Amino acid sequence: MAVDQEHFVHLSRPLAPAVLGFSASSAPLTVNIQPQAVFSILDHAVRRDIRDTQSTRVIGALVGVRSEDGAEVEVRSCFAIPHTENEDQVEVDVEYQKNMLALTLKASPRETLLGWYTTSHELNSFSALIQNFFASPDTGTFPHPAVHLTISTDAGTAIETKTYISAPVAVNAERAAESCLFIEVPHKLLFSDAERAALGSVAAAATVDTRAAPIVSDIEGLAQSLETVSDLLERVGSYVSEVLDEERDGNHALGQFLMNNLSLTPKVDSTAIEHDFNNHIQDVLMVSYLANSIRTQIDLAQRLATAPLAADKEGGEKSKDGEEGGKQEGRGGRGGRGRGGRGGGRGGGQPREPREPRENAD
Amino acid sequence: MVDAQKDVPFKSAQVEALVVMKIVKHCSSTFPTTATGFLVGMDSNGVLEITNTFPFPTVDVAVPDNQQGHQNDASSIAAAAPRAKANIVYQNDMIRHLKEVNVDANNVGWYTSATMGNFVNLSFIENQYHYQRDNDKTVALVHDVSRSSQGSLSLRAFKLSTEFMAAFKEAKFTTESLQKSKLTFRDILVEVPVIVHNSHLLTSFVHQIPPPPEDPEISLPASLDDIKRQPAQFPPHPSFDVLDLSIDPFLEKTCDLLLDSIEAHYTDLNNHQYYQRSLTREQFKITQWQTKRKAENAVRLAAKQTPLPEDEWQRLFKLPQEPSRLEGMLNARQVEQYSKQVDGFTATVTAKMFAVRGNLLPE
Repeated sequence: MAVDQEHFVHLSRPLAPAVLGFSASSAPLTVNIQPQAVFSILDHAVRRDIRDTQSTRVIGALVGVRSEDGAEVEVRSCFAIPHTENEDQVEVDVEYQKNMLALTLKASPRETLLGWYTTSHELNSFSALIQNFFASPDTGTFPHPAVHLTISTDAGTAIETKTYISAPVAVNAERAAESCLFIEVPHKLLFSDAERAALGSVAAAATVDTRAAPIVSDIEGLAQSLETVSDLLERVGSYVSEVLDEERDGNHALGQFLMNNLSLTPKVDSTAIEHDFNNHIQDVLMVSYLANSIRTQIDLAQRLATAPLAADKEGGEKSKDGEEGGKQEGRGGRGGRGRGGRGGGRGGGQPREPREPRENAD
Repeated sequence: MVDAQKDVPFKSAQVEALVVMKIVKHCSSTFPTTATGFLVGMDSNGVLEITNTFPFPTVDVAVPDNQQGHQNDASSIAAAAPRAKANIVYQNDMIRHLKEVNVDANNVGWYTSATMGNFVNLSFIENQYHYQRDNDKTVALVHDVSRSSQGSLSLRAFKLSTEFMAAFKEAKFTTESLQKSKLTFRDILVEVPVIVHNSHLLTSFVHQIPPPPEDPEISLPASLDDIKRQPAQFPPHPSFDVLDLSIDPFLEKTCDLLLDSIEAHYTDLNNHQYYQRSLTREQFKITQWQTKRKAENAVRLAAKQTPLPEDEWQRLFKLPQEPSRLEGMLNARQVEQYSKQVDGFTATVTAKMFAVRGNLLPE
C-alpha cells in the first residue's frame, strides 16, 4: 500500500558538481518513506527540548538505502540530533551525529546516511547551512544529493510531508555555505505487508479517546472485521435500494462493477460443498483435539515427574539403605511414567499412565 | 523509596506505536532469522511504558556455501545478543545518546522475534533472567512474525515469575527441589497484557492514512476503468487481511513444531531413564558392598576383631548427577503454547468455514 501525497511533475533535477570518475545520473529522484521513520520523527517532535533554544523545530538524520543508480531512496529509520537555534546562529551537535550514525549503522550495516529532517516547512538560511553540511563530501552524502524531509507539526493542521534535494547556488563566494537551492522531489509513504498488521493495531488505538488499545486476539479481530464488512455491505445494499426506489440516480459504472463482483460467486454442487466442508472441519477439529491431548499428556508427565512419592518411604529399614531404596523405587515409577508419557505423545498410551502411580502406592 | 517502588509490580506494558512499528520492521526484515533488540522507557503507576527501541547489532558471518548453517548461526547470534558482553557497551552508548534527545533512557527489557510461538527456550529464559536479575521492571516482548502475517498483530509481553527467578538463580532443577518449591512449567513465564498507545501528534497522523477526500461531495465514477484506477482505500483498522481463508499452512506448521516438541520430550525422557538405570546400577553395587561388609563385620565380631567402618561406600562409589528438569519444563510450556495457538486457529478457521458454507449453500 503506497500513499501518494500528490501528483507530481518532475522536470529536472539539479546536478551535483561534476566529479572525476562519478557520473551523476539525471533520472528523477523519488523518496520512499517507511512509516516507522515518520513515527520516529513525530515522537521526536513531541519530545522537543525548549529550554535553551528559540527554534520551534527539531532536526535529525535520515538513514536508509539508496537504489544502485541513485534514482530511488528509501528512508528506513532516523535519529534525532540535538541542535540549538538563535536569531543569528545555529548549532548542530556534529559529534553526536557522527557517533549516533556509527551506532545506527552498526546494527544495520546495509543502510547509509541519506539526509536530514526537520519538523517545520520553513526553509531558511539555517536550513541551507544544515543542508550543505549533510551534502558535503566529508560529513554527508556526497556525491549523492542529500534529502531534506520536512514535516509540519503545527497543532490544528494536517500533518504534511515534503521532500527536497538541493543544488549549490550563491550570490557570491562568501555566502556559498549558507545558501542553496531547494528543489522539491516526489515522495510516498510506503507500507509493507508486515507493517499493515501493526498499523491496524495502531489505528485501533487512534480511534479511542484514551489513545490506547489492547492488542486483540485473532478471534476478536475477526469479529471486528466481519462487523465492518457487514456494515459496508449494508451501505451498498441501501445504495442499491435507493436507486431502485428512484430516490437517487443510478450510476452505470457502479452498477456494472457490482454486477461483475456478484457474478464471481462460484456455482457449486451443494453435496460436494457439504462433503468438503465436513471433511475439512473434521481435520481441523482433529488437529485441535490432538494438540490438546498432547498438552494434557505432557502436563501429566511433568506432574508425575515431580509428584512426591511418600508412599514408598514406609519401607521397614531404618538405615540409609531404606531411604535409598525408597527413592530408587520412586524413580523406577517415574521410569514407567516415562514410557507412558511417550506413548501418550503418540496418542496411544492413555490407559497406561494412571496405572503407574497406583503401582507405586501398592 | 526504592523499596516502596519495588513493591508495586507493573500490571501492563504500554507500548508506543513507534516501538510497535520499529519492532515489526526489524523482525520482518530479518525473518526467518531471529531478531533481537533493546527497549527503553519508564515505569509509572504500575504501567510499564515502552517508549523507544533499538536493534542489537549482529555481526554478519557470511558463509555462502552453507546457507542453512549460516542462517542458524545468525539466529543463534541474534538470540544470544541481549546478554552478549559486546552489546552491553553498545547499549550503554546508545542509551547515553538517546538521553541527550529526551528519550526515556531506562532499560525496560528487550524484544525478540518468533515463528508460530516457538520462543520458549533456554536462550529466552537466560536473556530475560539477565535483565530481570538487575531490574525487576523489565519485560520481553515477543513479536510473532508468522502469525502477524495473517492480519492481526501478535505482540506479547512476558516476564519471569519471582519463584522461577529464585530457582534459576540457584540453577537447581532436580526432582527434590521442584517438589519442595512446587514449581511447575506453568509458573515460569507471566504474561503481561500489551496496550498500544499513540501520542496526540501520531493520532492525528494516523487519521490521515488514507488521506481524507478533499471534496466532501465525491463525484461518481464514469466508467469501470475509473473504479479500477482509483480503488477504494480503507483505513488500516479493522484490517480485512484476517478474512483470508488459507489457514491450513499455519496449522501445518504448528503441527510440525508440536512434533518437534514431542521429540524433545522424548529425548529428555531418555536422559532421565539413562540416569535412573545408572543410579539403580550404582545403588545395587552399594547394597552388595554393604551386605558384604556386614557379613565381614559379623565374622570379625565373632573373631573379636574391631569391625570395619560401614560408611566407606560413600568414598568408593559415586552416584550419578540427576539431569536438570528445566529442559522438560520449558518443553512442556512450549507445548502448552502451541496447543493454545492451535485452539485459537481452530476458533477462527471454523468461524470462517461456517461463513463460507453459509454463503455457498443458502438455507
